[in-house]
Amino acid sequence: MTQLSVPAAGPRGPHLGQRVYRWLASIPTWILWGLVIVWSVPTFGLFVNSFRARDAQIASGWWTGGGWTLDNYAQVLTPGGGSKGLSDALLNSLAISLPATVIPIAIAAFAAYAFAWIPFKGREWSFVGVVALMAIPAQMSLIPLLQLYSGGGHWTVPFLNKTITVFPDLSLAGQISSVWITHTGFALPFAIFLIHNYISQLPKDVFESARIDGADHFTIFWRLVVPLSVPVLAAFAIFQFLWTWNDYLIALTMIGANPANIPATVRIASLAGEFGVQEHVLTAGAFVTTVLPLVVFFSLQRYFVRGILAGSVKG
Amino acid sequence: MEKLLTTILGVVGSVGISAILFIGANMIFDLAPRHWKWFSALVGFLTTSTVFLILWANDLLLSPGTVTLIAITIGTVGGFALGMTSNRWLRFAYGAGAGMALGALAGSFSQNVFGILEDGTPVVWPARPDLQFGPLLGWTIGGALVGLAIWVLNSRQKPAYRSALFWGTVGWIVGAYMVPSLSSGTQSDAILAGTVLGFGIGALPGSKPLASALERNRVKEESRKYIFLAPAFLFIAVTLIIPTIRTLVLSLRDRRGDGFVGVENYKAIFANSNTFDLSDWRLFFTSRLFWIGAIIVLIGFVIARVRGKEIGTRIQGSPPSYATWFVGGLLLSAAALSVLRGTLFNNLWWVITVTLVATAMGLGIAVLADRAKYESAAKSIIFLPMAISFVGAGIIWRFMFQARQPTAAVPHGGQTGLLNALWVGLGELSASTWPKLIALTLVGAIAIGLTVLATKAFKDRAMGLAWSSTVALVPVVWFFYSLIVGIGGWANGRGEIILFIQNSPFNNLWLMLVLIWTQVGFTMIIFSAAIKAVPAELLEAAEVDGATESQSFWQITIPQIVPTIGVVVTTLIVLVMKVFDIVKVMTNGNFDTQVIANEMWQRAFTELNFGLGSALAVVLFIAVLPVIVLNVRRMQKAV
Repeated sequence: MTQLSVPAAGPRGPHLGQRVYRWLASIPTWILWGLVIVWSVPTFGLFVNSFRARDAQIASGWWTGGGWTLDNYAQVLTPGGGSKGLSDALLNSLAISLPATVIPIAIAAFAAYAFAWIPFKGREWSFVGVVALMAIPAQMSLIPLLQLYSGGGHWTVPFLNKTITVFPDLSLAGQISSVWITHTGFALPFAIFLIHNYISQLPKDVFESARIDGADHFTIFWRLVVPLSVPVLAAFAIFQFLWTWNDYLIALTMIGANPANIPATVRIASLAGEFGVQEHVLTAGAFVTTVLPLVVFFSLQRYFVRGILAGSVKG
Repeated sequence: MEKLLTTILGVVGSVGISAILFIGANMIFDLAPRHWKWFSALVGFLTTSTVFLILWANDLLLSPGTVTLIAITIGTVGGFALGMTSNRWLRFAYGAGAGMALGALAGSFSQNVFGILEDGTPVVWPARPDLQFGPLLGWTIGGALVGLAIWVLNSRQKPAYRSALFWGTVGWIVGAYMVPSLSSGTQSDAILAGTVLGFGIGALPGSKPLASALERNRVKEESRKYIFLAPAFLFIAVTLIIPTIRTLVLSLRDRRGDGFVGVENYKAIFANSNTFDLSDWRLFFTSRLFWIGAIIVLIGFVIARVRGKEIGTRIQGSPPSYATWFVGGLLLSAAALSVLRGTLFNNLWWVITVTLVATAMGLGIAVLADRAKYESAAKSIIFLPMAISFVGAGIIWRFMFQARQPTAAVPHGGQTGLLNALWVGLGELSASTWPKLIALTLVGAIAIGLTVLATKAFKDRAMGLAWSSTVALVPVVWFFYSLIVGIGGWANGRGEIILFIQNSPFNNLWLMLVLIWTQVGFTMIIFSAAIKAVPAELLEAAEVDGATESQSFWQITIPQIVPTIGVVVTTLIVLVMKVFDIVKVMTNGNFDTQVIANEMWQRAFTELNFGLGSALAVVLFIAVLPVIVLNVRRMQKAV
């Protein structure tokens, strides 16, 4: 061991100190890859176990292997499937997350356009007000929303003690629509904020010349803004799709009581509740529910990261 | 197959209806400039149908179907007539006439319907006001006077009678429908009230001149902002604003939401030892964690003092002391929050631990990955858990944490959970002879290497490296010592397996690990982008000036990304504060792992105690409120 801080090349190849220094300098990379391995082990373990028979899973850890089978997947994916089935729940997940992605995008894009390019009184403070709603915890809305869905909306007029039905009882509780209505409302503040940030940065000249040519806001929106803001719409779409697909709290609250309509997350969680009984199917089930987000994530990663970045690193 | 079909139909239907509503609204207003009378008819149609459908839905009409149909016809024809006539008197007659006809219709077919509540008690539905002429005239004339006053205040822009008419009508509504009892009036009372109301409303458009081409264009232009904003505001009001207000109200009521109980629910939260328990605070000072944490923090101060002496100040912070303070602080918080028990403290523990660890790890990994080979592959893998649901993550880690009654005959005591297998393996290692010696040699070699490195670096005045290796030496020496005296589970029957999920209070840390596992990817990606955005000139200038990499990191990169750290920390705090899925799936709050969000869910939806559930939601809301204020202020600056 010689000079550490100022390694000098000796006449016979690299100096010992230099070699030690190089080795030390590569430690960070080793730590990084060590972390990468540690980070992927849990998922990998689940993946391996999902291909092992029930007895094998109970008898030994996934790293020992053995007992390979596809039965878990077969059980999970059989249509109908009974107590072990997940295919209905996966369809429900799709039925929730597709409208809960498309509708907020459209509504938020309209609102974001209005906030960015249609001048009106109180535009600034109403925009800030909408954005501020972003951080209201979902818990603040759950009880009244469930009451609204299961019994309609009633308003007792102050000082009069007269109750008016404002929103009819449509028996939405337990229906898939109740979940995507809730998701739509909860997503809007963030969506408006994100899309507004993008739309308001579009060059002003484009809008002015379009206005001079006689285009009204509706035309400008469809012909100009939508095509120009595809990146941000895609970013939000991916973000929102993963969010609604992975959501547990809202689905459990709104339709947890109706087993026919529960999405995959709720189904998986209830399978986990019978731990030990359905444990072997649980591995395959958890993995199947994860496949779609992972595919979306890997194929559209750039948009996804952009969406998260835009949502957080602004300022 | 059937399920698939209904799913597709549902998706397409919901999206389609939304699109039709939006485009339809735009098209209606597109009619305004060229086809005013059709536009006007449509407005009449939509207004009357809305009003009468509401009346119908509230059981306020006798033979509602026929009445609504007639009303819609009158409204549509009235609108059409108003849209094509320019004669002042005719317009007034059309508007007021249609309004009066509609009001009289509603009044004469209004009926006190007997509804039946859920529990079977019949109710009289109010529909006919018991008119009292004193308040009626008072309110109407008062309203008209207010209208005149407003007209004066508004520098007399509109015609005076329109302002008086509008406010007089408002006064009539109050006097006729809000002051008297709504269930005991006669039919003639109802007809009178309705007719005058209809007159007031109908006369408003009737007293306006026919819209000019300019005004028609303006209607179309002005409509756009409402059409663009209305859907968003509707959804936000229904799902966020109104429920939030209602939750605030419910939190002051009893469990069914009927009687007012004041702050009883909030008192109940703090009086319950399951949510708020200070009784064991003395144990804090006797716990091993406290002493270890305190010593580590002190070491940090010693390092800072030594470095300060070198450059002539009292205390000089540097990466080694930051690191020790960080670790010591985490240990101290764990010491404090493992004796202060209850849901609220648990949540605080979550927030501190997950936020600090995820932020630090994300930053560390972002730095490590920056300019490393295969950077994007490494980052993808670390980021991957972000795409997995919390439920999925909980299940994945449940398998990691699995503990089985150990049996000596099988390898690793028959453990199927990786962590316990490692733990038992460690026990087997420390109980063995030759493998143990090999391990001791390896660990000893690392320790010696670190010692040599540290002394060397001290001699070379490379203080960062010197202190870092000294600090790194501590856990290595500890591990060496533990291997000798014995560590790990199920070795020679002495140790035990770890019940990660059941052993309170440190099972909380294992649950937090799951959230950290998912969130590090998020913090890493954001820090990575921020680090790449640090101007290269700054770093180059530092390099030219002879700064080492660690110096330029601590003195250039870190100050540059401070705003990003703020963003990450606030985002994480809000997220962790609301943590629900992981706890619900892994323990459901058992074994002392309850958090506010899960407590709220259980109180509200398992026990159906809406009062207490709402109060817990409000506590959660108040806890995140300061962070919200910070975020909004930051966004205001950004916009």
